[in-house]
Amino acid sequence: MSYFSDELKKIIEGYLLRYETKRSSILPILHAIQDEKDWISDADVEALEKEFELSAVDIREVLTFYTMYRQKPPKPYRFEVCKSISCWLMGANKTIAAVKLDIENAEKEGRPLPFEVHAVECLGQCGYAPSTLINKDRHNNVTPERALELIREYSAKELPQAAKNCAKLK
Amino acid sequence: MPTIANEYLGRKPDEYRILLELENVPNSRELKTYREHGGYKALEKVLKTPMSPDDVIGIVKASGLRGRGGAGFPTGLKWSFVPKGEGDKYLITNFDEGEPGTFKDCYISEISPHSLVEGKIIASYAIGAQKSYIYIRGEFHNEIRWCEKAIREAYDAGFLGKNILGSNFSHDMDIYCGAGAYICGEETGLISSLEGKKGQPKLKPPFPAVKGYLGKPTVVNNVESLAVVPWIINHGPDAYKKFGTEKAPGTKLFNVSGPIAKPGCYEVPLGYPLMKFINEDCGGLIAGKKLKAIIPGGSSAPVLTAKECENITLDYESIAAAGSMLGSGAIIVVPEDVSMVEVLENLMDFYAHESCGQCTPCREGTGWLFKMSKRILQGSANRLDIDKMYNVAEHMRGRTICVLSDAAADPAKAIIQKFAHEFEPYLKG
Repeated sequence: MSYFSDELKKIIEGYLLRYETKRSSILPILHAIQDEKDWISDADVEALEKEFELSAVDIREVLTFYTMYRQKPPKPYRFEVCKSISCWLMGANKTIAAVKLDIENAEKEGRPLPFEVHAVECLGQCGYAPSTLINKDRHNNVTPERALELIREYSAKELPQAAKNCAKLK
Repeated sequence: MPTIANEYLGRKPDEYRILLELENVPNSRELKTYREHGGYKALEKVLKTPMSPDDVIGIVKASGLRGRGGAGFPTGLKWSFVPKGEGDKYLITNFDEGEPGTFKDCYISEISPHSLVEGKIIASYAIGAQKSYIYIRGEFHNEIRWCEKAIREAYDAGFLGKNILGSNFSHDMDIYCGAGAYICGEETGLISSLEGKKGQPKLKPPFPAVKGYLGKPTVVNNVESLAVVPWIINHGPDAYKKFGTEKAPGTKLFNVSGPIAKPGCYEVPLGYPLMKFINEDCGGLIAGKKLKAIIPGGSSAPVLTAKECENITLDYESIAAAGSMLGSGAIIVVPEDVSMVEVLENLMDFYAHESCGQCTPCREGTGWLFKMSKRILQGSANRLDIDKMYNVAEHMRGRTICVLSDAAADPAKAIIQKFAHEFEPYLKG
C-alpha cells in the first residue's frame, strides 16, 4: 500500500509521466502534496524516494530553495501581505502590523485565530496595492480595516480540507 | 483599466489597442469570444498560406518587436539563433512576473490568454519547437487557471496537438508552475527550474537558443512579446511600425503603481511622453501628494528625479539616455513625503532575499547593502559608511553570472548619488 492517499498517488504518477524527465516532476509533486496536507514532511520526502525512485537529495534541493514550500505544519490560513516597493508605498506595513496585532491579541485573550501572517515579496499586483493572498485567494487593495474584516470572514468559515488533513497527521 | 485615451499621434483610443483589444469585451478569456474578434486567424494564415518558418521570423524581425520582459532584445533575431533542422527544440514563455512594479503579464492573461497561446504556437512553428511551456509563478493561482483553460480549449479546437489545421506541424503545450523564486525570471534560472532544480542561472554562452532546456535549443520569451505576435502576423510589420518610435516600434504595456490617481495597466505607443502619461492619462498623483521621483522600469531600474523625468519619453533609448532603463515597463511613483533612504532599504531587502546565493559578489553584496541601509535608517551609520556602501555596489556590477547583482547595485548607487542630502539627518558624527 502506498504511503500517499489514492488520489495523491494518482496525481504523482501523472506528473512523473508528464514531463521530459522525472526530475521535472519534483516541483509539481511538492505542490500537490502541499495542496493535500498543507506542508511537506521528512516522511513525504522519504516516501517519494522509496515509492517513486526520486532522489531525496534532488527533492530537498527544490524544497529548500523555493519559498512557497512549507517545511513545518502551518496554521490553516496564511495571510501573505506583499511588502515590496509599490505595496510598501501604499501602506503595506500598516496592513502587516494590523494583522500581526490582531493575531497576537486573539492569542492573549485565549481565542487563537487560525491565521499566521507573512510579509512576502512582490505578488505581481502592484497597481492594486496593498496586495495579499490568503492561501490561494487573492485580495487586493487590502487596508488594515479590510484585513481585519478578511480575518473575521475566514475565521467564520469551515476550515479548508488541507488544514484538517494537516491537523489529523500531527 | 482604460487603454490610454489621448490625441497623441492624432489617433483615436481604440487604434492603440493591440494587446488589450479585448479589454472591455465581456468573456474575453473564452475561445469563442477570442475567435469572434479574429482570434487564431494569424495561425491559420501561417499554416494555410503556408508561410515558411523563415517567413514568420522575417515578419517579426521586420516589425522591430523587442523583447518585453526587460532586456529589449529583438524577438525575431532571438528566434533566428535557433539552429535549423531536425531535433528537439523548445519554446518557453517567461510568466515568472516578479519584478516589483510589474503586473502586465497577469493582465494579459486576465484579458486575453488565447493571444498568448496563439502567439506561442506561431513562435513554436517559426523555430521548429515540438513542445512549449508556460513557466508561471506558483503564486498566480488565477492566472494558472486561465492559462490552463486556454490551452485546453486550444487543444479541443485543434489548434494544438497533431497536424494542426491539417498541416504537417504538430505541437504540444503545457504549463509549469514555479514555487516562489524571483531568480527564475532570469531565463537560464527559469530553465534550471523547469528541469526540476534550484533556479540558479547559468553562464552564457552557450545561450539557450543553442543549449537550453535539457541541453536542447530553447527560446525563452516574455508573455507580452508572444501575445503581440498574432497581431503582427495579421496586420503586417508596417502596420506595427506605425506605432512607437523608429528604434522601438509598437505599443507596450505600462504598469503604473504608487500613490497615483488611476493606477493600472495601460497600453501606450512607445515614445509617449512620460509626464503627460502620468499627469493626464493616469490622473496625476493622488490629492495632496507631490512627485519626488520615478522608478521607470521595475525596481531594478535606477531611480529618476522629478526633474530628470520632465523630458523623457517612454522608449528604450530615451530612458537609457537619462541613465535608467525601460525594463518591464513598470512605473513606480515615489511622492515627496517618502524618504528615499527608506525606499533604498525596501529595495535592498528584496534583492537580499532573492539573490540565489551562487555568486559571492551578489550573495554577500545584496546582504551587505540591505544591512547597511538598515543601519543608516537606525541612525548608527556615519558618512564613511555611505561611501562604503557605494563602493560595495560598484564592486557588484558585471561580476556575476546573471544581472540580479547589477539590479541591486544600480538602484542603490542612483539613490545614494541623487538623494545624498536625504541621508544627512540619519547620520551620526
